[in-house]
Amino acid sequence: MGMRAPFGLLLAAGLTLAGSAARAHPHVWITASSELLYAADGTITGVRHAWTFDDMFSAYAVQGLEGKTKGAYTREELGPLAQTNVESLKEYAYFTFARADGKKERFQEPVDYFLDYKDTVLTLHFTLPLKNPVKPRQLMLEVFDRSFFIDFQMAKDNPVKLVGAPAGCQMKLERPSDGTASAQKLNEQTFMSGENANFGMMFANKITVDCP
Amino acid sequence: MKRHLSPLGRGLIACAAVLLVAGVADAALHNVLAQNPFGAPRSAAEPEVGGVIGWLLAKQSEFYRQMSATIRAAKTDGSAVWTLLFISFAYGIFHAAGPGHGKAVIASYLVANRETARRGIVLSFASALMQSLVAILIVGISAWVLNATAKTMCKAEGAIEIASYALIALFGLRLVWVKGGTLIRALQAAQPVPAIAGVPHHHDDGHHHHDAHDHHDHDHGHVHAQHGHDHVHDEHCGHSHGPAPSELAGPGGWRRGFAAILTVGIRPCSGAILVLVFALAQGLFWAGIAATLLMGLGTAITVAAIAVVAVFAKDVAGRLSAGRDGGGALFMRGIEFGAAGLVLLFGAGLLFGYIAAERTTCF
Repeated sequence: MGMRAPFGLLLAAGLTLAGSAARAHPHVWITASSELLYAADGTITGVRHAWTFDDMFSAYAVQGLEGKTKGAYTREELGPLAQTNVESLKEYAYFTFARADGKKERFQEPVDYFLDYKDTVLTLHFTLPLKNPVKPRQLMLEVFDRSFFIDFQMAKDNPVKLVGAPAGCQMKLERPSDGTASAQKLNEQTFMSGENANFGMMFANKITVDCP
Repeated sequence: MKRHLSPLGRGLIACAAVLLVAGVADAALHNVLAQNPFGAPRSAAEPEVGGVIGWLLAKQSEFYRQMSATIRAAKTDGSAVWTLLFISFAYGIFHAAGPGHGKAVIASYLVANRETARRGIVLSFASALMQSLVAILIVGISAWVLNATAKTMCKAEGAIEIASYALIALFGLRLVWVKGGTLIRALQAAQPVPAIAGVPHHHDDGHHHHDAHDHHDHDHGHVHAQHGHDHVHDEHCGHSHGPAPSELAGPGGWRRGFAAILTVGIRPCSGAILVLVFALAQGLFWAGIAATLLMGLGTAITVAAIAVVAVFAKDVAGRLSAGRDGGGALFMRGIEFGAAGLVLLFGAGLLFGYIAAERTTCF
């Protein structure tokens, strides 16, 4: 008697409904600009990020902090918060994923980090040194939150800078979906590529640098 | 044996079909909604994970992001408060239609516990209200009274979150235990020879009562089916498959309902907390509270709609499977057990991070 098949169907149906429970949506918006840091010999040594939070999250983050002037916070006053930020970001791999010629690269703990507060929003600055500096033909850098709790958008102006890159290097930025027509295009592409066909990938900012 | 099981199999397929239809209808509805703003119709064959979610998320983000600007505007312009309330309400509706375990747990709970649609609505509203109140209390106490930092608040939020996931798992475990027992008894009862006589002596009166109820009812079931659809949905459901309404309202009934409300309602929405803290920072805490309550109301409406669909789907499955003596009751116990298992799966999945999307990010 084929009792198992209907039970399987039932389970599948249940999981279809349950699947919606796994869909996330952002609570924090970050406008990012990133710099790729090159050494004199053309190797890539790390990434320097500047992440500007939305004003709602900024208000949340400075809650309970006392500034000398009301409504303003100095870099020193925000020091402990910046420390907390970069320490917590470790768990999420700094939302920064690098591949040199297809090979995954890892980052060391952040250096030169600080927060500034301007026009009611916080900007977190930090540098991620690569564990092993690389000199690939192609570097791919992705900035995104897999769970999409945070929505990363690269800045409109100067989203990516190559600092000290050898002549002839070309940078290309692919922005994530904005929920309209491009979402579908990106989505198809995501599924076509097979691997990493995962939800958060739809929201990745993909920076590709090709060097001769 | 074959003859005996075949209506069961049919019933299972019917139920799976109903659930699938509900799932697909859910997606289709999103599709229909998604078409309006862009005008151009899309092919129905498009994979479900496509632009619909993108649109849903974009819509949520849009409402959510308007909130901060509106709260700011409300500082100088009183009429902006009305806009804020509307945005919060709309956000609540979309929010619950997208992510969130609340609706899944409530729907599964209703199916497992043979609840009525009316109770489903009450549970949805009560748990959403509790969720709003928890958010208001967390921010009210920690930020407003204690002036705690975001780090402290987020840690508190994280702790509550873990506790709530553990609660869901425990709640699911208890449901699985109870429903498993009922299913086993139904299985024993379905075996023709000595089981029926043996069962009552091993188990407590309450369950015996249910079993007897169900067996009696199957004769009535046929009559009902032939009568057509004159009966009120809730009453039909309550009489033929579940305990009487008076039993539900008894101490066990409401306590059980409270457990569901607590389990779903204890975890506040991160969005509400952010809005509340932001409103507090603008000196408009009351506007944040109003927004949070409206968000809860929107959420409750969506969850209640899903809860009603779940109860209805189970009812349809029950009617379809009630073709044969004994088999129908057994089938329904199986569904209930499956729903109980789903609650346990959600709890365990959330607790151990398999559904990582619902983890608060503190940084």
